[in-house]
Amino acid sequence: MDTIIEILKGVHPEIDYESETGLIDKRIFDSFDVVNIVGELMDEFDVEITAEHMIPQNFNSAKAIYALIQRLEEE
Amino acid sequence: MSFISIDFALFVVAVLLVFYVFPRKYRWMVLLVASYIFYAFTGAGNLLYILVTTISTYICASFIEKRTAEQKEYLQINKGSLTKEEKKAYKNRIKKKQRILLCVGLIINFGLLVYLKYIDFAIAYINLFRLSRFGVTDFIPFKNIILPMGISFYIFQSMGYLIDIYYGRCETEKNFFKFALYVSFFPQIVQGPISRFAELAPELYKELDYDFFRIKSGFYRVMWGLFKKLVIADRLAAFVADTMAMQDTYKGLYILLAVFMYSMQIYGDFSGGIDVAIGVAEMFGVKLHENFERPFFSKSIAEYWQRWHITLGTWFKDYIFYPLSLNKGIIKSGKFVREHINQSIGKRIPIYIPMFIVWFTTGMWHGSQNKFVVWGLFNFVFIVLGTEFEPVSVRIKERLKLDESNVFMKFYRVFKTFWLMSFLRIFDISKDVPSAFKAFRNIFTDWSSFDITKVYENLFLEQQDFYVVIIAIIIMFAFDLLQRKGSVRERIFKLPTVLQWVILSLLITVVSVFGYYGPGYDAGSFIYGAF
Repeated sequence: MDTIIEILKGVHPEIDYESETGLIDKRIFDSFDVVNIVGELMDEFDVEITAEHMIPQNFNSAKAIYALIQRLEEE
Repeated sequence: MSFISIDFALFVVAVLLVFYVFPRKYRWMVLLVASYIFYAFTGAGNLLYILVTTISTYICASFIEKRTAEQKEYLQINKGSLTKEEKKAYKNRIKKKQRILLCVGLIINFGLLVYLKYIDFAIAYINLFRLSRFGVTDFIPFKNIILPMGISFYIFQSMGYLIDIYYGRCETEKNFFKFALYVSFFPQIVQGPISRFAELAPELYKELDYDFFRIKSGFYRVMWGLFKKLVIADRLAAFVADTMAMQDTYKGLYILLAVFMYSMQIYGDFSGGIDVAIGVAEMFGVKLHENFERPFFSKSIAEYWQRWHITLGTWFKDYIFYPLSLNKGIIKSGKFVREHINQSIGKRIPIYIPMFIVWFTTGMWHGSQNKFVVWGLFNFVFIVLGTEFEPVSVRIKERLKLDESNVFMKFYRVFKTFWLMSFLRIFDISKDVPSAFKAFRNIFTDWSSFDITKVYENLFLEQQDFYVVIIAIIIMFAFDLLQRKGSVRERIFKLPTVLQWVILSLLITVVSVFGYYGPGYDAGSFIYGAF
């Protein structure tokens, strides 16, 4: 989880990722941010994130991203 | 056998008869044989190319899936004994093997396409280089290859399938002949739509009872396509070509009119052809993906490209844009720029570099001439400008208290997008890039010399043809608008039967009487069929 927050802070350092649950819905992240974050997540965790995974539910919070990474690691 | 001809109509009727006489279980075989017969009519030699694509894709996909099964079995057997790292290393080894197979499939097929489509383009540049650098005048002769009909469409469709198998998005088709049908299904082979395997395969192989409604509904769609192609597009072909060729005499409004009419022509031609494809497929119970969604009502260029040639756009998005955006090299470059140079520029790299490549490739796909590449890059620039200036535009609208939902604002945005896209199409109808810029400049000169009678007398658009085309365009857009609230055909089918037949008879009469068969008429050819 810490690694994920570190990656997210690299894009938007001002956000409190422990509590924020509307990163996409509140338009805190734009499409540029999401693509950058996904790329870094793939590199860091060695998982394959494809276009199908790029839906708001998977990126609305640090917890949701963590859950996505866990799912992909188990596959 | 051209797509719009009596021969094709008779062919479809014959295939329909055989199709519905055959037991449901074997009907897909009828479609396969019919598709190969249809394709053989375009030139027996062309069968070789489609077979190369079918066989190579089938083999590569099967081996990729075999590796996936192998991995699943291995991981299942060694479930408790492998560490996380060992598991990851094994998966990477399998992925590497699969990547090689994917590359083999891609290289064979795109290599074939690139060779057939761009060999003369490359030869021209090699000759030019040898001449300018070494003074060699012994030119390499051009190959003058005639591109097999629909080759880029079926190669794109097959490679989409291979990539889907690689990413595990769908399972392979084990029956080679069923797969061959997916590649060659005759209504869509001329100019698409480019279908996804997961979507098209169940449609092709399902077992349906005969239903007259399906035939009737498909026939309506075919007639609507013929209306757009024969009444509008073919009527405008000679006028557009001649005006562009004679622009030293006919400037200003003549060119503006030709540019507008070319937008109508290409929409009538391409979407009309797609209507025929979708309608014929529907008669066989096969639902194809829609390729147009009222594109001329788009409020931005980005939106326009989501509504024009939809299946090609999504193909590029899914198979080129996303994989490139998420490519490690591009992501790392973005991160480097973000951390060491500029945060804002860095975060744009994983989007704009792949977008540039997509538009460059889209341009190349449209033709092996510089003008298409420039056309593609202009699209890229306009989309980037639209994205970058959006916040500014929002602020301006807020300051001026302009309401986005206001009908005038909507009209302004639609009008602006329509003309931007129409102006970009000047590249399409010009000989080369300098001619396109010249034509664009010519639009803004000599408006006072415009005389509509000269259009009727000298530019292959006689007065009655001009009126017919204007009324037909109004009808086409009226139907487009009606479609916003759902399928027009479904609403027609709710009418009393007599009225339904009246509408159909009217459509057939209009196509027969007002279909254009004068100069420039070539119903057999479609603009997009050449891509």
